[in-house]
Amino acid sequence: MSVSRDDFSIAFRSALLQRGGAQKFSILSLIILAIFIFFLDIYGFVVVKKARSIINDVVFRITYIVSSPLRFIPNASTNLSSHFNLKEENEKLRQVIENYKSLDLNLEYLTNENKNLRKVLDAENIVNEKNIVLAKVLVDRNSPFLKSIIINKGTQAGIKKGMPVTQDNYLIGRIVETNYLSSRILLLNDLNSRIPVTLGNDSAQAILTGSGTKNPKLEYLPEGYVFEDEITIFASGKDGIFIPGTPIGKTTLNSGKYDNEIKLFVDPNQLSFVTVNLVRLNKEKF
Amino acid sequence: MAKLNLINKIFNAGPLILLYFLSSSEIDTNLEKVFEIFSFNLPIIIIYFWILKRPSVLGTGHIFFAGLINDVVMGYPLGISSLSYLIVCFFSNYVRNKSVNTTIASDWFTFFIALMFANLLFFSLLNNFSDVVISYTKIGYNTFFTLFLFPILWLIFSFYQANFIGGQDA
Repeated sequence: MSVSRDDFSIAFRSALLQRGGAQKFSILSLIILAIFIFFLDIYGFVVVKKARSIINDVVFRITYIVSSPLRFIPNASTNLSSHFNLKEENEKLRQVIENYKSLDLNLEYLTNENKNLRKVLDAENIVNEKNIVLAKVLVDRNSPFLKSIIINKGTQAGIKKGMPVTQDNYLIGRIVETNYLSSRILLLNDLNSRIPVTLGNDSAQAILTGSGTKNPKLEYLPEGYVFEDEITIFASGKDGIFIPGTPIGKTTLNSGKYDNEIKLFVDPNQLSFVTVNLVRLNKEKF
Repeated sequence: MAKLNLINKIFNAGPLILLYFLSSSEIDTNLEKVFEIFSFNLPIIIIYFWILKRPSVLGTGHIFFAGLINDVVMGYPLGISSLSYLIVCFFSNYVRNKSVNTTIASDWFTFFIALMFANLLFFSLLNNFSDVVISYTKIGYNTFFTLFLFPILWLIFSFYQANFIGGQDA
């Protein structure tokens, strides 16, 4: 019995402390170091934050370079197939131009109408278009637990934590981490994402919650609210972070997994360029 | 002869390169676009297998560093992936010290215990000390698929070891 206990303790100690060959450090010392770094990072000492910010910038650049061959392969196949479909594409483009011509006729009328409506609304929160930053997605690693992306603009470009991020004027998420040359965006479908939204003709208020899957869902709808298909969801701006009226997605009854699911206008897995709105809205004062 | 040595060195470095590549690149083992619940933790399988069979291929310092890179890319608190990798590494070392001959079944069983401990530590630290919220269902699926795919990757890595690295197990 005592021999087997000795055996256990020898194997245990050896596993923790043994070095040699490629094992330059003992596992125990590295475990202690990892715990030390973890708590330094968690309790957010200023020096650690700055160090992490520099490490982030360097690692994100390396990740971008390392991943570039992976990006090239699908791009190359797409380019090759599009080369063979030039004629077809040309016809489609002609049709698109015709459509645009007809749309152009309505544009002036709609612009004037929009101006008038804005005057009526006296919308104080309309964003100044100079206060936006166009950023490229550096890293889009699809983690099973966190839904976030890294962009190539950071505090140097005036980006701060909490700023809303859009693509084609559709809301996609908000900034949760900033470094000097890069930032992390928490996407709307992440489990940690919560956004006040408004929907329907009666401007019902709700919270858009990420579910960790492709589509987020609506929570805290008014009592007795009947969930209908194809209703557009807008950011309500009640939190003072998101711009009121920014479109997000449409309600869907056919996705299956959860009730009250929202189909986002922008597919969170297909982001390449995004826009960060630098204007931080003030919280409403009552 | 020198050329042969270089080729051997490249093959020997294969698992380490793969580990660093998985930690730092955009490539991921979360295939939810294909099958919604499908994700698995390939770095943990790599670490367990190679520390068990050929510890000279992966250094503990490299494992620690790969974990740090993974934390930065994924947005986890620094050190948490390193800790989980090192726990797997410890289990693997222990099993290697205690056993003479291992089979795929015995490795699978011990891997299950190592994976459970590593994931338990990872998620309890994340839950208690970080603001990051994580779905328990996804953790379950991830653990299940990692465990499920272990024998397949065991065979692939064994094939690689036998044909490209050579020699006997540690």
